[in-house]
Amino acid sequence: MSLIHLENLSKQFKILNRREGLSGAFRDLFSGDYRTVEAVAGVSFDIEAGEIVGYIGPNGAGKSTTIKMMTGILKPSGGTLLVNGLAPYDNRIRQAQIMGVVFGQRTQLWWDLPVIESFKILKEIYKVDQKMFDRHMDMFNELVGLKSLHSQQVRTLSLGQRMLCDITASFLHNPQVVFLDEPTIGLDISVKAKIRSVIKELNREHNTTIILTTHDLGDVEALCQRIIIIDKGRILYDGDIKRVNALFGAYRTLKLQINNFSETILQTLKSKLIECFGAEHGITIAENEEFWTDVTIDQARTPLSDVLSFVMNNFPVIDVRIVEISMENVVRKVYDGALK
Amino acid sequence: MRAYFAMMRGAYMIGLVYRFGFLFNIAGNLIYMSVTYFLWRSIYQNRETLRGLTFNETYIYVALGSAVFILLKTYVDWQMSFDIREGNIATYLSKPVDLQLYELFTSLGFFLMSLSAITIPTIFLLIFVFRIEVPLGIGLAIFPFSLILAYLLSFCFDYFIGLLGFYTESVWGLSITKEIIITVLSGALIPLQFFPDAIQKILLWLPFQAIYYTPLTMVAQPDLGWGTFLPMLGVQLFWVIALFALTRLFYTQAVKVLRISGG
Repeated sequence: MSLIHLENLSKQFKILNRREGLSGAFRDLFSGDYRTVEAVAGVSFDIEAGEIVGYIGPNGAGKSTTIKMMTGILKPSGGTLLVNGLAPYDNRIRQAQIMGVVFGQRTQLWWDLPVIESFKILKEIYKVDQKMFDRHMDMFNELVGLKSLHSQQVRTLSLGQRMLCDITASFLHNPQVVFLDEPTIGLDISVKAKIRSVIKELNREHNTTIILTTHDLGDVEALCQRIIIIDKGRILYDGDIKRVNALFGAYRTLKLQINNFSETILQTLKSKLIECFGAEHGITIAENEEFWTDVTIDQARTPLSDVLSFVMNNFPVIDVRIVEISMENVVRKVYDGALK
Repeated sequence: MRAYFAMMRGAYMIGLVYRFGFLFNIAGNLIYMSVTYFLWRSIYQNRETLRGLTFNETYIYVALGSAVFILLKTYVDWQMSFDIREGNIATYLSKPVDLQLYELFTSLGFFLMSLSAITIPTIFLLIFVFRIEVPLGIGLAIFPFSLILAYLLSFCFDYFIGLLGFYTESVWGLSITKEIIITVLSGALIPLQFFPDAIQKILLWLPFQAIYYTPLTMVAQPDLGWGTFLPMLGVQLFWVIALFALTRLFYTQAVKVLRISGG
């Protein structure tokens, strides 16, 4: 039997329809005007022990809600959810013993205490014996170099240091499954790389199952063999990362800032690019933010450098940025049938 | 259980981090004690007793009341409401701990901190600076037990308000209301003897008086004897058990409506 089993899992929230302004706020006091929001709408999947699964989707897709149900914090509205054969919500305290959780936007450490004190409290909470605790601490020191941080108060840590400590803490009791909810949010490239290698190492060491939600497709590429894409509470894709990789691996978005930008320039850009690279060039153009024009390029079909030099030579470009394709674009492409 | 003691120890250490706050608390308390001293001195002018209480008894009651007041504030309601709004509650619920015991032992850490930093210094002030003669009697010996029960009761009320935060998110108004009700009806400001007889009778049937009136009376009038004190302790114990059970029951309902926004 699989370690985590979800079948047609759903979660609805009742939300008060709030009205505008002060008078609206007063009327809300006596309002019974609720709407139901379906955060998770019938999700099914199975996860085996030892897997690293990327659970991704745009903001508000239902990722965190699913995680919070799997960790026993939220009660599912419907469907079946079993972790290690038990329903997490009904056996919260027992199940918490075999799970580790990192919520990237908050810390599980004691804000005002030195790092080591938090670890000691967690050691007691999870009933980790001294020998195992020492072994873990040694291993983490080797991996992350945490020893220098031990006497520092958690609130004086940088975001990256805090996240490394938080991840360390979630593995302290050698859990069967660890949920990492946005572990790299707001971190710079080098810290991200370190966190990825630590996660990989921890997974290898104890065969820990890891479920990772992230906005950063780089995390997914670096860590996961399997990926589940969710949007609007429904699963869009569940399978090998290689097929999805082709979707976002080869795509780059060229962001251009053009002098004296206008609608006519946009039209000229479009027609000239089609003229030059052909209609089936794998290029899409969109004006997403003010002053920036996005040209998304499929590198498998058109070399990025060709497009870049063409644009630079023919348009008064002020600024250029090259970015990896965003989560939203991947989801849009999946909707458009790219994986069918 | 070791887990909860570890959390208590942690909370005590956090209290130490903010140790300067206690200096201001002691200073503030000193001013309050001086004001009440002169206030009650003038009330008792030319009078031996008021409603059966001597000046000494009333002043011990009121002054100790102000120290106990700081001690029995758990702030659990504020803390829980903050954690629910910020979503931190998710990290507590993801650990193998019982929320009620987690909140209790964390607040006990702060309780021990303020006990050692405020209450005990205040008692020294009472005895050595204000030269109040603390009458000796069995009440004094029972007082610590009564105080612990009073703390547990105060915790239950704060935890209850904190749980309401699952529904309302912010508990600002509820907390203030609770604070006023408890302060007035528990005899925290003036001994219950000063209330009209009919109201006194009603108040003795409510749980509030077990928080302040019971432990403070034990020190102010320590010679009332076992016949008075044992039933008082019994009533305290009854309310502690009842309110602990009720809030536990309420938790299972409240946690169902939990919604955690933002990540």
